[in-house]
Amino acid sequence: MATIVGGLGTSHVPSIGAALDKGLRDTPEWKPFFDGYLPAREWVREQRPDVAVVVFNDHFNALFLDRVPTFAVGCAAEYHPVDEGWGPRAIPPFAGAADFSWHLVDHLVENRFDPEIIQEIRVDHGLQVPMELFWGRPADAWPVKVVPIFVNVLQYPIPLPIRLYELGQALGRAIESYDGDERFVVLGTGGLSHQLQGSRAGFLNPAADRRFLVDIAENPAELASWSRQKYVETFGGEGAEVIMWLVMRGALTPEVVVRHRHYFSPASMTGAGMIVLENA
Amino acid sequence: MTEIPETPILDRAHQLRGYRMNKMAMGLSRPEGRAAFLADERAYLDRFDLTEEEITAVMSRDWRTMIGLGGNLFLILKISAVDPVRITEIGAHQVGMDHESFLRDRLGKKE
Repeated sequence: MATIVGGLGTSHVPSIGAALDKGLRDTPEWKPFFDGYLPAREWVREQRPDVAVVVFNDHFNALFLDRVPTFAVGCAAEYHPVDEGWGPRAIPPFAGAADFSWHLVDHLVENRFDPEIIQEIRVDHGLQVPMELFWGRPADAWPVKVVPIFVNVLQYPIPLPIRLYELGQALGRAIESYDGDERFVVLGTGGLSHQLQGSRAGFLNPAADRRFLVDIAENPAELASWSRQKYVETFGGEGAEVIMWLVMRGALTPEVVVRHRHYFSPASMTGAGMIVLENA
Repeated sequence: MTEIPETPILDRAHQLRGYRMNKMAMGLSRPEGRAAFLADERAYLDRFDLTEEEITAVMSRDWRTMIGLGGNLFLILKISAVDPVRITEIGAHQVGMDHESFLRDRLGKKE
């Protein structure tokens, strides 16, 4: 049976990818941010996951407001980077794990989650940036397959935090019931605090971000019980997307071990958090 | 959700109000859209049935008004791919601060 080697949480700020593209990795502004991921990269190298389930949102790049799936699962053989306005970024395409994706879709529907099933889609910085942070940018092929789970965190009504936690629990059971010997890692992405719109733009809440990096490990049920309103108030209009970490956390056991944790603020306009968790 | 001060969210009213402007911005995801915008911005905007108020907001890069009219940041940000502006400048404009003060007072950047 397949195994879960752990869960990773990270911000997915587009400026991180842009900083890499422009060769700014080792500048004073960015080096402390990227260096914070080195222990996590080492962890990934040691764990050698075969499949990464990446929970993220498209930012109106592959999807528009004409059709907004609340949850969607990529079931494709391959995912290319999407053109976000500057042309597709020069990174290799991501190989899919379509057989698992279909198993996941079956499992979710049987457990009363009903995702959109996607056969062809491109992926934006929401998936690209976390992959580059944890795996580094490969010359020609990623050493891991991906299963994208798209969550609508932009067009209200967005799903309830508790629903994302429960989706994660269903995802965890889907992995554990998958007939294969692959090693899985689950990525929850987005956040932490930031606001890009309105006169509260530039809002940051480092104290709440640091608290979140503790509570996501120790008190996930409490975080899952928060209202969407409380997420927007605490983490900012765009920072509320951090609820996607609850999917990752739900896929793990109630008790977890924190292997690594990092916080840096601000990356562009965002409080940037990272965590590496293993089942206890 | 009740309203949170100074925090626009993409709810039903914003979605409906901003749909045409957001669709215009989505067109900039493709090279043809960007080329058309660069070649004749007004002609490009005219394809999307925008009001004069919306056209003026876009052409004057009035980010605060664009968002007030239902534009979504992730979409109108695509304008910065054809006419470069930093996201922190868009933030500062909405707050009504100069860029340096915004970086210092909101984002806590030194220098």
